Amino acid sequence: MSRSRIFIVAIVIVVFAAVGAYLLFGNNRRTPQNVPFDVTVTDGKTMQPSELKVNQNDTVTINITSNMDGEVHLHGYDIAFDTKAGQVVSHTFEATISGGPFDIEWESTSAHLGDLIVNP
Amino acid sequence: MLDLGIFLHGFGPRYDLPAPLFFYIFAAGGVVVISFVLVILFVGDQVGAKALQYPRRAAPLLLPVARSPWPRALGGTIGLLGLLAVIVSGLFGSSNPAVNPAEYLTWIYFWAGLVILSGLVGNLWYLLNPWAAVYDFATRFVRLGPVWKLPNVGVWPASAFYFSFACLELTSGVANQPHVVAIAAIAYSAVTLVGMILFGRDEWLENCEAFTVLFGIVGRFGPIESERDDRGAVSAVYVRPWGVGLLKPAPSGWNRVFFVILMLSTLAFDGILGTPAWQDFNITLEPIWLPMGQFGFFLVKTTGLILVTFGFLLVFIAFIEAVIFFGNRKVDLATTATGFAYTLVPIALVYNMAHNYSYVMVQSQVLIPLLNDPLQKGWHLWPAVVGLQPSFALAQASTIWFAQIVLIVIGHVIAVYLSHLRAGERFRTAQKALLSQYPMLVLMVTYTMTSLLILAQQTTKTG
Repeated sequence: MSRSRIFIVAIVIVVFAAVGAYLLFGNNRRTPQNVPFDVTVTDGKTMQPSELKVNQNDTVTINITSNMDGEVHLHGYDIAFDTKAGQVVSHTFEATISGGPFDIEWESTSAHLGDLIVNP
Repeated sequence: MLDLGIFLHGFGPRYDLPAPLFFYIFAAGGVVVISFVLVILFVGDQVGAKALQYPRRAAPLLLPVARSPWPRALGGTIGLLGLLAVIVSGLFGSSNPAVNPAEYLTWIYFWAGLVILSGLVGNLWYLLNPWAAVYDFATRFVRLGPVWKLPNVGVWPASAFYFSFACLELTSGVANQPHVVAIAAIAYSAVTLVGMILFGRDEWLENCEAFTVLFGIVGRFGPIESERDDRGAVSAVYVRPWGVGLLKPAPSGWNRVFFVILMLSTLAFDGILGTPAWQDFNITLEPIWLPMGQFGFFLVKTTGLILVTFGFLLVFIAFIEAVIFFGNRKVDLATTATGFAYTLVPIALVYNMAHNYSYVMVQSQVLIPLLNDPLQKGWHLWPAVVGLQPSFALAQASTIWFAQIVLIVIGHVIAVYLSHLRAGERFRTAQKALLSQYPMLVLMVTYTMTSLLILAQQTTKTG
Protein backbone atom coordinates (compact mmCIF):
# COMPACT_ATOMS: atom_id res chain seq x y z
CA MET A 1 0.00 0.00 0.00
CA SER A 2 1.41 3.41 -0.93
CA ARG A 3 2.30 6.04 1.65
CA SER A 4 -0.66 8.24 0.74
CA ARG A 5 -3.09 5.35 1.27
CA ILE A 6 -1.48 4.43 4.60
CA PHE A 7 -1.92 8.11 5.53
CA ILE A 8 -5.65 7.95 4.68
CA VAL A 9 -6.11 4.80 6.77
CA ALA A 10 -4.24 6.41 9.67
CA ILE A 11 -6.44 9.54 9.42
CA VAL A 12 -9.62 7.42 9.43
CA ILE A 13 -8.46 5.52 12.53
CA VAL A 14 -7.43 8.73 14.33
CA VAL A 15 -10.82 10.34 13.55
CA PHE A 16 -12.58 7.19 14.80
CA ALA A 17 -10.52 7.23 18.02
CA ALA A 18 -11.09 10.97 18.52
CA VAL A 19 -14.87 10.68 18.11
CA GLY A 20 -14.84 7.66 20.46
CA ALA A 21 -12.83 9.62 23.02
CA TYR A 22 -15.25 12.56 22.78
CA LEU A 23 -18.26 10.26 23.22
CA LEU A 24 -16.72 8.64 26.29
CA PHE A 25 -14.81 11.40 27.98
CA GLY A 26 -16.35 14.61 26.60
CA ASN A 27 -19.87 14.36 28.01
CA ASN A 28 -19.01 13.82 31.61
CA ARG A 29 -20.36 16.96 33.28
CA ARG A 30 -22.62 15.34 35.84
CA THR A 31 -22.70 16.96 39.29
CA PRO A 32 -21.67 14.47 41.97
CA GLN A 33 -24.48 13.49 44.35
CA ASN A 34 -24.69 12.19 47.89
CA VAL A 35 -26.11 8.68 47.60
CA PRO A 36 -27.11 6.80 50.77
CA PHE A 37 -28.02 3.08 50.84
CA ASP A 38 -29.70 1.30 53.76
CA VAL A 39 -28.79 -2.32 53.38
CA THR A 40 -29.94 -5.37 55.35
CA VAL A 41 -27.80 -8.50 55.50
CA THR A 42 -29.47 -11.72 56.63
CA ASP A 43 -27.58 -14.76 58.01
CA GLY A 44 -24.42 -13.74 56.13
CA LYS A 45 -26.06 -15.06 52.96
CA THR A 46 -28.32 -12.43 51.42
CA MET A 47 -28.44 -8.67 51.13
CA GLN A 48 -31.34 -6.31 50.38
CA PRO A 49 -31.03 -4.45 48.06
CA SER A 50 -28.41 -6.63 46.38
CA GLU A 51 -27.34 -4.21 43.64
CA LEU A 52 -26.11 -0.71 44.50
CA LYS A 53 -25.72 1.60 41.48
CA VAL A 54 -24.00 4.99 41.63
CA ASN A 55 -22.18 7.34 39.30
CA GLN A 56 -18.47 8.01 39.43
CA ASN A 57 -17.44 10.67 41.97
CA ASP A 58 -20.72 10.38 43.89
CA THR A 59 -20.32 10.37 47.66
CA VAL A 60 -21.70 7.00 48.72
CA THR A 61 -22.86 6.11 52.21
CA ILE A 62 -23.65 2.46 52.89
CA ASN A 63 -25.49 1.71 56.13
CA ILE A 64 -25.48 -2.02 56.84
CA THR A 65 -27.68 -3.78 59.36
CA SER A 66 -26.90 -7.47 59.88
CA ASN A 67 -28.54 -10.07 62.12
CA MET A 68 -25.10 -11.63 62.72
CA ASP A 69 -21.65 -10.46 63.84
CA GLY A 70 -19.07 -10.61 61.05
CA GLU A 71 -17.40 -8.71 58.24
CA VAL A 72 -19.07 -7.50 55.07
CA HIS A 73 -16.37 -6.63 52.54
CA LEU A 74 -16.69 -4.36 49.53
CA HIS A 75 -14.01 -5.53 47.09
CA GLY A 76 -12.30 -3.23 44.64
CA TYR A 77 -12.78 -0.36 47.09
CA ASP A 78 -11.45 -2.63 49.84
CA ILE A 79 -13.82 -1.43 52.56
CA ALA A 80 -14.63 -3.65 55.56
CA PHE A 81 -17.89 -3.28 57.50
CA ASP A 82 -17.49 -4.96 60.91
CA THR A 83 -21.09 -5.75 61.69
CA LYS A 84 -22.61 -6.37 65.12
CA ALA A 85 -25.98 -8.13 65.24
CA GLY A 86 -28.78 -5.59 65.12
CA GLN A 87 -26.52 -2.53 64.91
CA VAL A 88 -26.04 -0.21 61.95
CA VAL A 89 -22.49 0.05 60.56
CA SER A 90 -21.79 2.86 58.08
CA HIS A 91 -19.01 3.86 55.73
CA THR A 92 -18.92 6.91 53.49
CA PHE A 93 -16.57 7.09 50.52
CA GLU A 94 -16.19 8.80 47.19
CA ALA A 95 -16.82 6.47 44.22
CA THR A 96 -13.62 7.33 42.39
CA ILE A 97 -13.14 3.94 40.67
CA SER A 98 -15.64 3.42 37.87
CA GLY A 99 -16.54 -0.06 36.71
CA GLY A 100 -17.48 -3.16 38.59
CA PRO A 101 -19.53 -5.03 39.51
CA PHE A 102 -17.49 -4.80 42.70
CA ASP A 103 -18.33 -7.80 44.87
CA ILE A 104 -19.87 -7.33 48.30
CA GLU A 105 -19.14 -10.48 50.30
CA TRP A 106 -19.59 -12.03 53.72
CA GLU A 107 -15.86 -12.23 54.26
CA SER A 108 -15.53 -15.32 56.45
CA THR A 109 -17.38 -17.58 53.98
CA SER A 110 -16.78 -15.57 50.76
CA ALA A 111 -20.56 -15.73 50.24
CA HIS A 112 -21.58 -13.29 47.52
CA LEU A 113 -24.14 -10.85 48.93
CA GLY A 114 -24.40 -8.27 46.15
CA ASP A 115 -22.58 -5.78 43.94
CA LEU A 116 -21.66 -2.14 43.68
CA ILE A 117 -21.73 -0.76 40.13
CA VAL A 118 -20.08 2.60 39.47
CA ASN A 119 -21.05 4.04 36.11
CA PRO A 120 -18.46 6.37 34.59
CA MET B 1 -6.15 -7.06 50.19
CA LEU B 2 -8.20 -7.14 47.04
CA ASP B 3 -10.00 -10.43 47.36
CA LEU B 4 -10.94 -12.28 44.25
CA GLY B 5 -14.53 -13.37 44.52
CA ILE B 6 -15.80 -15.98 42.10
CA PHE B 7 -13.48 -18.03 39.95
CA LEU B 8 -15.43 -19.46 37.06
CA HIS B 9 -12.86 -18.10 34.62
CA GLY B 10 -9.31 -19.52 34.90
CA PHE B 11 -8.80 -17.37 37.94
CA GLY B 12 -9.89 -14.07 39.43
CA PRO B 13 -12.65 -11.57 38.67
CA ARG B 14 -12.87 -8.99 35.92
CA TYR B 15 -14.13 -5.54 36.74
CA ASP B 16 -15.36 -4.92 33.19
CA LEU B 17 -18.69 -3.20 32.93
CA PRO B 18 -20.36 -4.08 29.63
CA ALA B 19 -19.94 -1.22 27.17
CA PRO B 20 -23.06 0.93 26.72
CA LEU B 21 -25.19 0.25 23.65
CA PHE B 22 -24.43 3.58 21.93
CA PHE B 23 -20.72 2.88 22.14
CA TYR B 24 -21.09 -0.63 20.77
CA ILE B 25 -23.09 0.73 17.83
CA PHE B 26 -20.46 3.42 17.26
CA ALA B 27 -17.64 0.83 17.25
CA ALA B 28 -19.57 -1.56 15.01
CA GLY B 29 -20.37 1.26 12.57
CA GLY B 30 -16.71 2.30 12.59
CA VAL B 31 -15.64 -1.24 11.66
CA VAL B 32 -18.01 -1.30 8.67
CA VAL B 33 -17.03 2.20 7.44
CA ILE B 34 -13.30 1.50 7.78
CA SER B 35 -13.73 -1.81 5.95
CA PHE B 36 -15.26 -0.01 2.98
CA VAL B 37 -12.51 2.63 3.02
CA LEU B 38 -9.95 -0.17 2.91
CA VAL B 39 -11.65 -1.94 0.01
CA ILE B 40 -11.67 1.29 -2.02
CA LEU B 41 -8.01 1.93 -1.22
CA PHE B 42 -7.01 -1.59 -2.21
CA VAL B 43 -8.15 -1.28 -5.82
CA GLY B 44 -5.15 -1.63 -8.15
CA ASP B 45 -2.69 -2.92 -5.58
CA GLN B 46 0.15 -5.27 -6.45
CA VAL B 47 -0.44 -8.96 -7.08
CA GLY B 48 1.56 -12.19 -7.24
CA ALA B 49 4.69 -12.67 -5.12
CA LYS B 50 5.18 -8.88 -4.99
CA ALA B 51 1.96 -8.54 -3.00
CA LEU B 52 3.67 -10.07 0.03
CA GLN B 53 6.67 -7.73 -0.01
CA TYR B 54 6.43 -5.52 3.03
CA PRO B 55 8.67 -2.71 4.26
CA ARG B 56 11.25 -3.53 6.91
CA ARG B 57 14.27 -1.71 8.22
CA ALA B 58 17.56 -3.25 9.33
CA ALA B 59 18.22 -2.79 13.04
CA PRO B 60 22.00 -3.29 13.39
CA LEU B 61 21.84 -2.20 17.02
CA LEU B 62 19.81 -5.32 17.83
CA LEU B 63 22.20 -7.69 16.03
CA PRO B 64 24.75 -8.09 18.87
CA VAL B 65 21.88 -8.78 21.28
CA ALA B 66 20.37 -11.39 18.94
CA ARG B 67 23.76 -13.08 18.49
CA SER B 68 24.62 -13.04 22.17
CA PRO B 69 23.84 -16.17 24.20
CA TRP B 70 22.92 -14.01 27.21
CA PRO B 71 19.29 -13.14 26.37
CA ARG B 72 18.42 -16.82 26.12
CA ALA B 73 20.42 -17.65 29.25
CA LEU B 74 18.68 -14.87 31.16
CA GLY B 75 15.26 -15.63 29.64
CA GLY B 76 15.64 -19.36 30.31
CA THR B 77 16.60 -18.64 33.93
CA ILE B 78 13.55 -16.38 34.39
CA GLY B 79 11.30 -18.97 32.72
CA LEU B 80 12.68 -21.78 34.90
CA LEU B 81 12.35 -19.72 38.09
CA GLY B 82 8.77 -18.89 37.09
CA LEU B 83 7.98 -22.58 36.52
CA LEU B 84 9.56 -23.56 39.85
CA ALA B 85 7.65 -20.77 41.61
CA VAL B 86 4.36 -22.11 40.18
CA ILE B 87 5.20 -25.66 41.29
CA VAL B 88 6.50 -24.77 44.76
CA SER B 89 3.81 -22.23 45.65
CA GLY B 90 1.11 -24.40 44.06
CA LEU B 91 2.11 -27.44 46.13
CA PHE B 92 3.21 -25.81 49.38
CA GLY B 93 1.40 -22.45 49.43
CA SER B 94 -2.11 -21.53 50.46
CA SER B 95 -5.07 -23.38 48.98
CA ASN B 96 -6.79 -19.99 48.69
CA PRO B 97 -6.07 -18.92 45.08
CA ALA B 98 -6.37 -15.23 45.97
CA VAL B 99 -3.16 -15.43 47.99
CA ASN B 100 -1.26 -18.04 45.98
CA PRO B 101 1.35 -16.72 43.49
CA ALA B 102 0.95 -19.88 41.33
CA GLU B 103 -2.43 -18.61 40.15
CA TYR B 104 -1.19 -15.11 39.31
CA LEU B 105 1.94 -16.38 37.54
CA THR B 106 0.05 -18.94 35.47
CA TRP B 107 -3.18 -17.21 34.52
CA ILE B 108 -2.28 -13.52 34.56
CA TYR B 109 1.46 -13.15 33.94
CA PHE B 110 1.98 -16.16 31.65
CA TRP B 111 -1.36 -16.83 29.98
CA ALA B 112 -2.85 -13.35 29.61
CA GLY B 113 0.21 -11.11 29.90
CA LEU B 114 2.88 -12.99 27.95
CA VAL B 115 0.63 -13.60 24.95
CA ILE B 116 -0.19 -9.88 24.75
CA LEU B 117 3.45 -8.88 25.22
CA SER B 118 4.64 -11.35 22.59
CA GLY B 119 2.19 -9.87 20.10
CA LEU B 120 3.55 -6.43 20.83
CA VAL B 121 7.30 -7.15 20.82
CA GLY B 122 7.88 -10.62 19.37
CA ASN B 123 8.17 -14.25 20.41
CA LEU B 124 9.25 -13.99 24.06
CA TRP B 125 8.58 -17.68 24.65
CA TYR B 126 11.64 -18.42 22.50
CA LEU B 127 13.68 -16.79 25.27
CA LEU B 128 11.65 -17.90 28.29
CA ASN B 129 10.83 -21.55 27.48
CA PRO B 130 12.02 -23.30 30.67
CA TRP B 131 12.06 -26.81 29.19
CA ALA B 132 14.25 -25.74 26.25
CA ALA B 133 16.55 -24.01 28.76
CA VAL B 134 16.83 -27.15 30.90
CA TYR B 135 17.47 -29.31 27.84
CA ASP B 136 20.10 -26.92 26.47
CA PHE B 137 21.83 -26.75 29.85
CA ALA B 138 21.82 -30.54 30.18
CA THR B 139 23.35 -31.03 26.72
CA ARG B 140 26.43 -29.17 27.92
CA PHE B 141 27.19 -32.19 30.09
CA VAL B 142 25.29 -35.11 28.58
CA ARG B 143 24.73 -36.09 24.97
CA LEU B 144 20.98 -36.23 24.36
CA GLY B 145 20.33 -37.62 20.93
CA PRO B 146 16.87 -38.53 19.69
CA VAL B 147 16.00 -42.16 20.28
CA TRP B 148 13.16 -42.30 17.76
CA LYS B 149 12.17 -40.30 14.76
CA LEU B 150 8.97 -38.31 15.27
CA PRO B 151 6.35 -39.48 12.77
CA ASN B 152 4.93 -36.89 10.39
CA VAL B 153 2.26 -35.65 12.78
CA GLY B 154 2.34 -31.93 12.02
CA VAL B 155 1.18 -29.81 14.93
CA TRP B 156 -1.72 -32.14 15.85
CA PRO B 157 -0.03 -33.12 19.15
CA ALA B 158 0.46 -29.42 19.97
CA SER B 159 -3.24 -28.87 19.21
CA ALA B 160 -4.14 -31.68 21.61
CA PHE B 161 -1.98 -30.21 24.40
CA TYR B 162 -3.31 -26.72 23.70
CA PHE B 163 -6.89 -28.00 23.85
CA SER B 164 -6.12 -29.74 27.16
CA PHE B 165 -4.69 -26.50 28.56
CA ALA B 166 -7.78 -24.59 27.39
CA CYS B 167 -9.94 -27.19 29.14
CA LEU B 168 -7.93 -26.76 32.34
CA GLU B 169 -8.45 -23.02 32.15
CA LEU B 170 -12.02 -22.78 30.95
CA THR B 171 -13.95 -26.01 31.47
CA SER B 172 -12.37 -28.01 34.29
CA GLY B 173 -13.58 -25.79 37.13
CA VAL B 174 -10.34 -26.56 39.00
CA ALA B 175 -8.05 -23.90 37.47
CA ASN B 176 -8.39 -21.93 40.70
CA GLN B 177 -6.91 -24.76 42.77
CA PRO B 178 -3.19 -24.02 43.12
CA HIS B 179 -2.16 -27.65 43.68
CA VAL B 180 -3.91 -28.67 40.45
CA VAL B 181 -2.02 -25.97 38.54
CA ALA B 182 1.25 -27.19 40.09
CA ILE B 183 0.56 -30.85 39.27
CA ALA B 184 -0.38 -29.90 35.68
CA ALA B 185 2.89 -27.94 35.41
CA ILE B 186 4.90 -30.94 36.68
CA ALA B 187 3.13 -33.37 34.35
CA TYR B 188 3.55 -31.15 31.29
CA SER B 189 7.21 -30.50 32.18
CA ALA B 190 7.83 -34.24 32.38
CA VAL B 191 6.09 -34.94 29.07
CA THR B 192 7.97 -32.12 27.32
CA LEU B 193 11.40 -33.06 28.66
CA VAL B 194 10.91 -36.77 27.89
CA GLY B 195 9.52 -35.87 24.46
CA MET B 196 12.58 -33.75 23.64
CA ILE B 197 14.93 -36.50 24.78
CA LEU B 198 13.14 -39.25 22.85
CA PHE B 199 12.26 -37.41 19.64
CA GLY B 200 14.74 -34.53 19.49
CA ARG B 201 14.56 -31.03 20.92
CA ASP B 202 13.37 -29.03 17.92
CA GLU B 203 11.14 -31.77 16.51
CA TRP B 204 9.23 -32.00 19.79
CA LEU B 205 9.05 -28.25 20.40
CA GLU B 206 7.91 -27.39 16.88
CA ASN B 207 5.29 -30.12 16.57
CA CYS B 208 4.18 -31.13 20.04
CA GLU B 209 4.90 -28.30 22.50
CA ALA B 210 1.70 -26.25 22.49
CA PHE B 211 3.22 -23.00 23.72
CA THR B 212 6.11 -23.05 21.24
CA VAL B 213 3.60 -23.40 18.39
CA LEU B 214 1.26 -20.80 19.90
CA PHE B 215 3.90 -18.17 20.62
CA GLY B 216 5.50 -18.91 17.24
CA ILE B 217 2.25 -17.76 15.60
CA VAL B 218 1.73 -14.83 17.99
CA GLY B 219 5.37 -13.77 17.53
CA ARG B 220 4.86 -13.55 13.78
CA PHE B 221 2.55 -10.64 14.50
CA GLY B 222 5.37 -8.86 16.35
CA PRO B 223 7.63 -6.17 14.87
CA ILE B 224 11.01 -7.95 15.14
CA GLU B 225 12.33 -10.21 12.39
CA SER B 226 15.63 -12.06 12.19
CA GLU B 227 17.45 -13.90 9.42
CA ARG B 228 19.88 -16.75 9.86
CA ASP B 229 22.83 -17.85 7.75
CA ASP B 230 23.61 -21.42 6.59
CA ARG B 231 25.13 -22.28 9.98
CA GLY B 232 21.99 -21.18 11.78
CA ALA B 233 23.56 -18.04 13.26
CA VAL B 234 21.57 -14.80 13.25
CA SER B 235 22.85 -12.73 10.30
CA ALA B 236 20.46 -9.76 10.36
CA VAL B 237 17.71 -8.25 12.48
CA TYR B 238 14.91 -6.08 11.11
CA VAL B 239 11.98 -4.12 12.45
CA ARG B 240 8.73 -4.37 10.49
CA PRO B 241 5.14 -3.15 10.87
CA TRP B 242 2.97 -5.16 13.24
CA GLY B 243 1.15 -8.03 11.60
CA VAL B 244 3.04 -8.37 8.31
CA GLY B 245 5.15 -11.25 9.66
CA LEU B 246 1.99 -13.36 9.35
CA LEU B 247 2.49 -13.22 5.57
CA LYS B 248 5.94 -14.83 5.71
CA PRO B 249 6.21 -18.33 4.26
CA ALA B 250 5.14 -20.91 6.82
CA PRO B 251 4.33 -24.62 6.87
CA SER B 252 0.80 -25.18 5.65
CA GLY B 253 -1.80 -27.90 6.12
CA TRP B 254 -5.03 -28.63 7.94
CA ASN B 255 -3.13 -29.22 11.18
CA ARG B 256 -1.96 -25.56 11.07
CA VAL B 257 -5.43 -24.32 10.15
CA PHE B 258 -6.92 -26.28 13.06
CA PHE B 259 -4.39 -24.84 15.52
CA VAL B 260 -5.19 -21.26 14.46
CA ILE B 261 -8.93 -21.92 14.64
CA LEU B 262 -8.42 -23.44 18.09
CA MET B 263 -6.67 -20.22 19.14
CA LEU B 264 -9.65 -18.22 17.94
CA SER B 265 -12.30 -20.51 19.39
CA THR B 266 -10.75 -20.82 22.86
CA LEU B 267 -10.40 -17.05 23.09
CA ALA B 268 -13.97 -16.54 21.96
CA PHE B 269 -15.25 -19.25 24.31
CA ASP B 270 -13.62 -17.49 27.27
CA GLY B 271 -15.76 -14.47 26.41
CA ILE B 272 -18.86 -16.50 25.50
CA LEU B 273 -18.89 -18.01 29.01
CA GLY B 274 -19.85 -14.56 30.31
CA THR B 275 -22.74 -13.94 27.94
CA PRO B 276 -26.47 -14.39 28.61
CA ALA B 277 -26.61 -16.77 25.62
CA TRP B 278 -24.26 -19.18 27.40
CA GLN B 279 -26.23 -18.86 30.64
CA ASP B 280 -29.39 -19.82 28.72
CA PHE B 281 -27.62 -22.79 27.05
CA ASN B 282 -26.35 -23.88 30.44
CA ILE B 283 -29.76 -23.62 32.11
CA THR B 284 -31.44 -25.52 29.27
CA LEU B 285 -29.04 -28.42 29.71
CA GLU B 286 -29.21 -28.37 33.52
CA PRO B 287 -31.43 -31.50 33.77
CA ILE B 288 -28.67 -33.45 31.98
CA TRP B 289 -25.53 -32.16 33.67
CA LEU B 290 -26.69 -31.19 37.15
CA PRO B 291 -27.10 -34.80 38.45
CA MET B 292 -23.48 -35.51 37.41
CA GLY B 293 -22.14 -32.78 39.73
CA GLN B 294 -18.67 -31.39 39.03
CA PHE B 295 -18.15 -33.77 36.10
CA GLY B 296 -21.40 -32.59 34.50
CA PHE B 297 -20.18 -29.02 34.82
CA PHE B 298 -16.95 -30.00 33.04
CA LEU B 299 -18.85 -32.00 30.44
CA VAL B 300 -21.23 -29.24 29.39
CA LYS B 301 -18.46 -26.65 29.15
CA THR B 302 -16.11 -28.95 27.23
CA THR B 303 -18.95 -29.83 24.86
CA GLY B 304 -19.53 -26.09 24.38
CA LEU B 305 -15.83 -25.53 23.62
CA ILE B 306 -15.77 -28.40 21.10
CA LEU B 307 -18.97 -27.13 19.42
CA VAL B 308 -17.60 -23.58 19.18
CA THR B 309 -14.29 -24.88 17.75
CA PHE B 310 -15.93 -27.01 15.07
CA GLY B 311 -18.46 -24.26 14.39
CA PHE B 312 -15.60 -21.83 13.78
CA LEU B 313 -13.81 -24.39 11.61
CA LEU B 314 -16.86 -25.10 9.43
CA VAL B 315 -17.64 -21.40 8.98
CA PHE B 316 -14.00 -20.71 8.10
CA ILE B 317 -13.83 -23.52 5.53
CA ALA B 318 -17.13 -22.37 3.96
CA PHE B 319 -15.79 -18.84 3.60
CA ILE B 320 -12.47 -20.05 2.16
CA GLU B 321 -14.41 -22.07 -0.43
CA ALA B 322 -16.24 -18.84 -1.31
CA VAL B 323 -12.95 -16.93 -1.47
CA ILE B 324 -11.53 -19.51 -3.89
CA PHE B 325 -14.75 -19.49 -5.94
CA PHE B 326 -14.64 -15.71 -6.37
CA GLY B 327 -10.87 -15.74 -6.85
CA ASN B 328 -11.57 -17.99 -9.83
CA ARG B 329 -8.14 -19.63 -9.94
CA LYS B 330 -7.14 -23.23 -9.25
CA VAL B 331 -5.37 -23.18 -5.91
CA ASP B 332 -4.67 -25.78 -3.24
CA LEU B 333 -7.39 -25.58 -0.58
CA ALA B 334 -5.19 -26.47 2.43
CA THR B 335 -2.41 -24.02 1.47
CA THR B 336 -4.91 -21.25 0.77
CA ALA B 337 -6.82 -21.94 3.98
CA THR B 338 -3.57 -21.81 6.00
CA GLY B 339 -2.56 -18.51 4.42
CA PHE B 340 -5.91 -16.91 5.16
CA ALA B 341 -6.14 -18.45 8.65
CA TYR B 342 -3.04 -16.50 9.67
CA THR B 343 -4.71 -13.28 8.53
CA LEU B 344 -7.36 -13.80 11.24
CA VAL B 345 -4.70 -13.82 13.96
CA PRO B 346 -4.65 -9.99 14.40
CA ILE B 347 -8.38 -9.97 15.20
CA ALA B 348 -7.88 -12.74 17.75
CA LEU B 349 -4.86 -11.05 19.26
CA VAL B 350 -6.50 -7.65 19.71
CA TYR B 351 -9.61 -9.34 21.07
CA ASN B 352 -7.35 -11.08 23.59
CA MET B 353 -5.81 -7.73 24.52
CA ALA B 354 -9.23 -6.05 24.81
CA HIS B 355 -10.77 -8.94 26.76
CA ASN B 356 -7.88 -9.15 29.23
CA TYR B 357 -7.01 -5.46 29.44
CA SER B 358 -8.43 -4.63 32.88
CA TYR B 359 -7.78 -8.16 34.16
CA VAL B 360 -4.04 -7.82 33.48
CA MET B 361 -3.87 -4.17 34.53
CA VAL B 362 -5.50 -4.70 37.93
CA GLN B 363 -4.92 -8.32 38.92
CA SER B 364 -1.22 -8.34 38.01
CA GLN B 365 -0.65 -5.83 40.81
CA VAL B 366 -2.13 -8.15 43.43
CA LEU B 367 0.91 -10.46 43.18
CA ILE B 368 3.25 -7.80 44.57
CA PRO B 369 2.02 -7.76 48.20
CA LEU B 370 2.13 -11.57 48.18
CA LEU B 371 5.90 -11.50 47.69
CA ASN B 372 6.28 -10.71 51.39
CA ASP B 373 4.95 -14.14 52.28
CA PRO B 374 4.42 -16.16 49.08
CA LEU B 375 3.64 -19.46 50.79
CA GLN B 376 1.53 -17.90 53.58
CA LYS B 377 3.83 -19.27 56.26
CA GLY B 378 4.07 -16.07 58.30
CA TRP B 379 7.28 -14.89 56.62
CA HIS B 380 8.29 -11.23 56.30
CA LEU B 381 10.48 -11.27 53.20
CA TRP B 382 9.48 -7.83 51.91
CA PRO B 383 7.35 -5.95 54.47
CA ALA B 384 7.40 -2.73 52.42
CA VAL B 385 4.96 -4.14 49.84
CA VAL B 386 2.40 -5.64 52.22
CA GLY B 387 -0.08 -2.74 52.20
CA LEU B 388 0.14 -2.10 48.47
CA GLN B 389 -3.32 -1.60 46.94
CA PRO B 390 -3.92 -2.15 43.22
CA SER B 391 -4.24 1.07 41.27
CA PHE B 392 -7.22 1.43 38.94
CA ALA B 393 -5.66 4.46 37.25
CA LEU B 394 -5.52 2.72 33.84
CA ALA B 395 -8.58 0.56 34.43
CA GLN B 396 -11.43 3.04 34.85
CA ALA B 397 -14.51 1.87 32.92
CA SER B 398 -14.28 4.60 30.25
CA THR B 399 -10.57 3.96 29.71
CA ILE B 400 -11.21 0.23 29.33
CA TRP B 401 -13.98 0.78 26.77
CA PHE B 402 -11.86 3.22 24.81
CA ALA B 403 -8.83 0.91 24.79
CA GLN B 404 -11.06 -1.99 23.75
CA ILE B 405 -12.64 -0.39 20.71
CA VAL B 406 -9.43 1.23 19.46
CA LEU B 407 -7.62 -2.10 19.76
CA ILE B 408 -10.47 -3.97 18.04
CA VAL B 409 -10.55 -1.54 15.12
CA ILE B 410 -6.76 -1.52 14.65
CA GLY B 411 -6.70 -5.33 14.67
CA HIS B 412 -9.51 -5.42 12.15
CA VAL B 413 -7.68 -3.02 9.81
CA ILE B 414 -4.48 -5.07 10.00
CA ALA B 415 -6.38 -8.31 9.35
CA VAL B 416 -8.28 -6.95 6.35
CA TYR B 417 -5.05 -5.56 4.91
CA LEU B 418 -3.15 -8.84 5.35
CA SER B 419 -6.01 -10.78 3.83
CA HIS B 420 -6.00 -8.46 0.83
CA LEU B 421 -2.26 -9.01 0.31
CA ARG B 422 -2.70 -12.76 0.64
CA ALA B 423 -5.48 -12.65 -1.97
CA GLY B 424 -3.16 -10.72 -4.31
CA GLU B 425 -0.54 -13.42 -3.92
CA ARG B 426 -2.99 -16.29 -4.35
CA PHE B 427 -5.22 -15.06 -7.18
CA ARG B 428 -2.68 -13.14 -9.26
CA THR B 429 -4.91 -10.45 -10.81
CA ALA B 430 -6.15 -7.34 -9.03
CA GLN B 431 -9.75 -7.95 -10.09
CA LYS B 432 -9.82 -11.57 -8.90
CA ALA B 433 -8.06 -10.62 -5.68
CA LEU B 434 -10.58 -7.88 -4.97
CA LEU B 435 -13.54 -10.10 -5.80
CA SER B 436 -12.22 -12.90 -3.59
CA GLN B 437 -11.99 -10.48 -0.69
CA TYR B 438 -15.69 -9.82 -0.34
CA PRO B 439 -16.44 -13.11 1.46
CA MET B 440 -13.29 -12.70 3.56
CA LEU B 441 -14.37 -9.18 4.48
CA VAL B 442 -17.79 -10.49 5.53
CA LEU B 443 -16.07 -13.13 7.69
CA MET B 444 -13.77 -10.57 9.29
CA VAL B 445 -16.54 -8.04 9.94
CA THR B 446 -18.62 -10.86 11.47
CA TYR B 447 -15.72 -11.99 13.63
CA THR B 448 -14.95 -8.45 14.77
CA MET B 449 -18.63 -7.78 15.48
CA THR B 450 -18.76 -10.99 17.52
CA SER B 451 -15.74 -9.78 19.51
CA LEU B 452 -17.46 -6.45 20.15
CA LEU B 453 -20.72 -8.16 21.06
CA ILE B 454 -18.99 -10.41 23.58
CA LEU B 455 -17.14 -7.44 25.08
CA ALA B 456 -20.41 -5.52 25.33
CA GLN B 457 -22.12 -8.42 27.09
CA GLN B 458 -19.51 -9.96 29.31
CA THR B 459 -20.06 -9.87 33.02
CA THR B 460 -17.74 -10.23 35.95
CA LYS B 461 -19.46 -13.27 37.35
CA THR B 462 -18.52 -15.65 34.62
CA GLY B 463 -16.20 -13.80 32.29
